[in-house]
Amino acid sequence: MVEASSAAERPNGSLLVLLPGSQPAQLETILANLTASFPAEDLVIASPEGPIPDSNPNVQFVDLPAAKLSWTLTAGDFVSAHHLTQNTNARAVLILGPESGSLRASALGNLANTILSTSTDLAVPCYDLQPRAGLVNSSILYPLSRALFATRVRFPLAIDFGLSPRMAERLGAAAQRFVALNQSEAPLWVVSEAMVTGMKIEEIDAGPRELPQPADPDLNAILPFVTGSLFSDIEAKAAFWQRARVSPPPRKQAPPAQQQTSDGSAEVASLLQGFRLAYTNLREIWGLVLPPNTLLGLKRLSLIDGPAFRMPENLWARIVFDFLIAYRLRTLNRGHLLGALIPLYLAWVASHINVIAAGDNPERHIEAHAAAFEAEKAYLVARWRWPDRFNP
Amino acid sequence: MVNFLAVMLQTQTPESGQPFYADNATILHHMSDALHQSLYRVLSLLIAVLPGILAFFLSLAVFTVIGMVISAVLRHGLAWVRFDDRLTHYRGSGDWTPANSPTAIVARGSFWACVLLGLIIGVSAFDASYATAASLPISLLPYLTHAVGAILLLIAGTLIARFLARSVLIGAVNAQLQYARFLSLGVKWLVLVLTAAMVLDHLEIGGVVVELAFGILFGGIVLTLSLAIGLGSRDLVSRSLESRVERSSERNLEVPPAGTSASGETLRHF
Repeated sequence: MVEASSAAERPNGSLLVLLPGSQPAQLETILANLTASFPAEDLVIASPEGPIPDSNPNVQFVDLPAAKLSWTLTAGDFVSAHHLTQNTNARAVLILGPESGSLRASALGNLANTILSTSTDLAVPCYDLQPRAGLVNSSILYPLSRALFATRVRFPLAIDFGLSPRMAERLGAAAQRFVALNQSEAPLWVVSEAMVTGMKIEEIDAGPRELPQPADPDLNAILPFVTGSLFSDIEAKAAFWQRARVSPPPRKQAPPAQQQTSDGSAEVASLLQGFRLAYTNLREIWGLVLPPNTLLGLKRLSLIDGPAFRMPENLWARIVFDFLIAYRLRTLNRGHLLGALIPLYLAWVASHINVIAAGDNPERHIEAHAAAFEAEKAYLVARWRWPDRFNP
Repeated sequence: MVNFLAVMLQTQTPESGQPFYADNATILHHMSDALHQSLYRVLSLLIAVLPGILAFFLSLAVFTVIGMVISAVLRHGLAWVRFDDRLTHYRGSGDWTPANSPTAIVARGSFWACVLLGLIIGVSAFDASYATAASLPISLLPYLTHAVGAILLLIAGTLIARFLARSVLIGAVNAQLQYARFLSLGVKWLVLVLTAAMVLDHLEIGGVVVELAFGILFGGIVLTLSLAIGLGSRDLVSRSLESRVERSSERNLEVPPAGTSASGETLRHF
């Protein structure tokens, strides 16, 4: 599958760099950034595009099986990473997702050096994104990951990773299960996998990065896909997260709020109109999932308009937890369940835009939500263990 | 009873000079014959069908007991070989509730499979016994065998109607269509009407009338939906579609320039 015979002859100490989704035009930039931090002879580049013409002759190239282009790293990528790590005897693996040419050279260097020079198994980048970007991550992925797996990794679904060989092996084994089920396009929740297996995780400031967007821009399709995948992963790792764990202290202070030049009132009005429409029509379905207190909170929210609209942190945490419970119990069809979550998520987005427009620090807002998730974890654990105690 | 009626009739004085007693006796005789034959026919049919009914209940009871035994054996056997632990090790997930552990699911599945088998064998035995008595048709009896299929059709139709109604409702709400509930109800009733027609057809009730009524009702619902959307709710629909077009940009993962804020920032969900 992987032609790495020449690379296998190399001595230990090489850095394997996988570029599964990079465009040919970006390969030169990435290679230039890498050679700025590492000697060319230490680099083994795995790309489906093959060797880059006119590149440094000391850089070794190996073939990476071509896969369907994805906006995020998939199980198939981690299986390839594991095989290539074995074949090349690499000491560290760098997997770079699509559009990784926008990453700074120092970010690439830090990701790889963290693995090469310390005992860290997983280096995860912390991207510097705009306040209105990565909203699914800020509202669901990060708070859930932090509350359940006791890690403050800000981007659990990052698309660039530095891996130690044993981490690559572990991820390869986890990804192989998806590949065996013919689900090689499924995302792999690397951070939770590392936490469950007791690997050492380090978060690296990676600066700004262009995050690729899904090919299908329909939120109604992509949000259920991502949240469904995360919920399944959480369900599979229930034995781990049900034990009480304390999150590590924050790595850095929240950056100061940026000056906003727009209040976003038009967007908020549109999002709230959608939320109210959903409240009118989906109350029965939400009633199957959410307890009366939460429904009452939603009723109050549906009466608030404009800049005053705020989604309370504990309300949002309980909503997500209740949907997670319903996903596990199959209270209703999972496609319907995750579809019914979308208007609530958009209400959270409206609240977040209002926070930004009010000049508050968006990072603090996200951290407050994540803290609420941690505080409400006991509620999740109780309902997870004894779901029959409460039937909405 | 027959003799009593005959005596009562005989006490009445004939007003004409016709030979009346002979005719009355013939009528009574015919009535008596008819009643006897009818009674004989029903009793014969019941006697013919009774073994089938008994066979149905016996089969159901026997297979239920067999199912309970198999379920218990499987439950203990799988617990003994630590089936749950092995599956957890293979699957990588250790979170099973006691009521939904793999062992419980297998045991429950085997029990219900046996019950279903008993039901099928019982119905088949009943059907066979009825066929032997088919020379004495009673119009209600075929429904007993068809009723099982009709009930299954009804359950499946109701479930499908509910599933489709929810799918349409959630999809329409997420597309921000104002008439989401109306669409959902329309789809639900379309499927329910179709199910009702299929059930009645399966039970052979109504015949052509049901087909005709179904055609009219189904077509009526479709026409109502079309008219409501096309004419009655024209303004509502156009407003809804207009607002949808305006919002489509915001609902996409990246808002195009028209939906951006004055600062030029875009709304990105990922």
